[in-house]
Amino acid sequence: MNWIRIASTDQLTDDDEVIPVAAGEKQLALYRSEGEFFASDNVCTHAYALLSDGYLEDGCIECPLHQARFDIRTGEAKCAPATSGIRVYPVKVEGQDIYADVQG
Amino acid sequence: MADADSILIIGAGQSGAVAAAALRDLGHEGPITLVGRETHAPYERPPLSKAVLQAADAHAQTAVHPEGFYEARRIALLTGAEAVRLDPAGHLVHLAGGRQLHYRRCLLATGGRARELPNLPRGTPGVHYIRTLDDAAALRAGLTPDARVAVIGGGFLGLEVASTARGLGARVTVLESAARLLERVLPPALSDWLAERARHAGVTLRLDARIARCAWQPLPDDAVRHRARFTIELHDATVIDADVVVVAIGLSPEVSLAADAGLALDPVNGGIAIDADCRSSDPDIYAAGDCASQHRRHLNMALRLESWQNANEQARAAAAAMLGQPAPGEPYPWFWTDQFGCNVQMLGLPQPGLAYTCRGIPQSEADAPKFIWLGHRDGVPVHAIAINAGGDLRQLRVLFEQGLRIDPQHYADETVALKPLVKACQQLAAATP
Repeated sequence: MNWIRIASTDQLTDDDEVIPVAAGEKQLALYRSEGEFFASDNVCTHAYALLSDGYLEDGCIECPLHQARFDIRTGEAKCAPATSGIRVYPVKVEGQDIYADVQG
Repeated sequence: MADADSILIIGAGQSGAVAAAALRDLGHEGPITLVGRETHAPYERPPLSKAVLQAADAHAQTAVHPEGFYEARRIALLTGAEAVRLDPAGHLVHLAGGRQLHYRRCLLATGGRARELPNLPRGTPGVHYIRTLDDAAALRAGLTPDARVAVIGGGFLGLEVASTARGLGARVTVLESAARLLERVLPPALSDWLAERARHAGVTLRLDARIARCAWQPLPDDAVRHRARFTIELHDATVIDADVVVVAIGLSPEVSLAADAGLALDPVNGGIAIDADCRSSDPDIYAAGDCASQHRRHLNMALRLESWQNANEQARAAAAAMLGQPAPGEPYPWFWTDQFGCNVQMLGLPQPGLAYTCRGIPQSEADAPKFIWLGHRDGVPVHAIAINAGGDLRQLRVLFEQGLRIDPQHYADETVALKPLVKACQQLAAATP
């Protein structure tokens, strides 16, 4: 595992918040859902849009352009127009610090 | 005779393909046959005026379902097959070439065809109509950077084609017969904003444009049928020279099978009249998508909606109803268009007497202007147009769905975050008996 610090917990104070973060060269979307944190690639597979501008609800991120939905735990595409999923990354929290492993 | 539970879907576009998948998802075990006139497997049409015009390989990204899907879900997909007659009494559809298909239940998802200009019919060299993948491929061949492109019709499709063609370097003129762009769906200020945006992108826009004459000559080398030499003269004596003409003046619902079979059509919009379950006037025939007219609760009138969302939602509702299962609720109408560097989303439909309030600054020359016009009646939103602000529009959707009031002044104040503001509206409504 190669953990990179990507954010601190006080950047996401509420459930169903999503922010853009960098992990080395990668642009990630960092989500908070039911008190847990999740991370995925930040670009929608359907068209060039940032998922961090999207709408997070019930563990799914909805793309702001065309409302494709992805499961933030598995990356699975949940509804059209997206047919391929997004890549998700392991996340861990130590104290205030949130880490992601983008190598895996 | 057909299996007692066979379902036949006529039309292999968005709606037909989604309905077939939904039937399996909902547990239908019997035969499903999906009949399409085109030779392609079902694909999404929104990219035809955008990504597919830009790149020759983009069509690979547009399939409604991935490769192998139809075999895996036991859906018999008949492409290149044209249904020519529907026989409701015999529960039978005749295909061109003589084949007959029996059904227990039939879904008409026949879509529509591009409305034609009588003096520039389909097939005229250099004249393009955009409805199919093949149409888009032919236009792409004509869109070289030196091309002079005249787009007749400044609706969503015409503007998207203009935007893409301009992006490819073509010189583009849009001819719109109305006094402003998208006048049936946008408030005047936003029509003006969009016109400025198009002009800023380098498009020549002719509003109030009436074509007086249109002459064309084939190019000497007739091998290139994507282009010709056009001279278009407007009533105000303006002359426009073009190599490529795109006609985008709307869609006619494809209802000939239904009409010949005696199914009821809506007298105003011409669509196949369906009830809340997407059932036509024949109890075993349903319809969905561009060809169907359905009563809309939010507007209290029958409408034919030509949108990606409607094609999907009616397909799912029809699938559920065909299996005797409860249909999902009617969604709030939602529509998007991508043009001139802007993702434009619309929620709801315009109605008379709405007040519009803008959040954000409608600059026409910014790289990515971001704002939302909210159309409301006493603060209850019923129509919104979001420019590059789909995420914010999504936050507001619950207000539309539940008919909740938002203070227009708070809404317009960008220093007030939208998410807590919407939450406060919900809490206020819950606390008010």
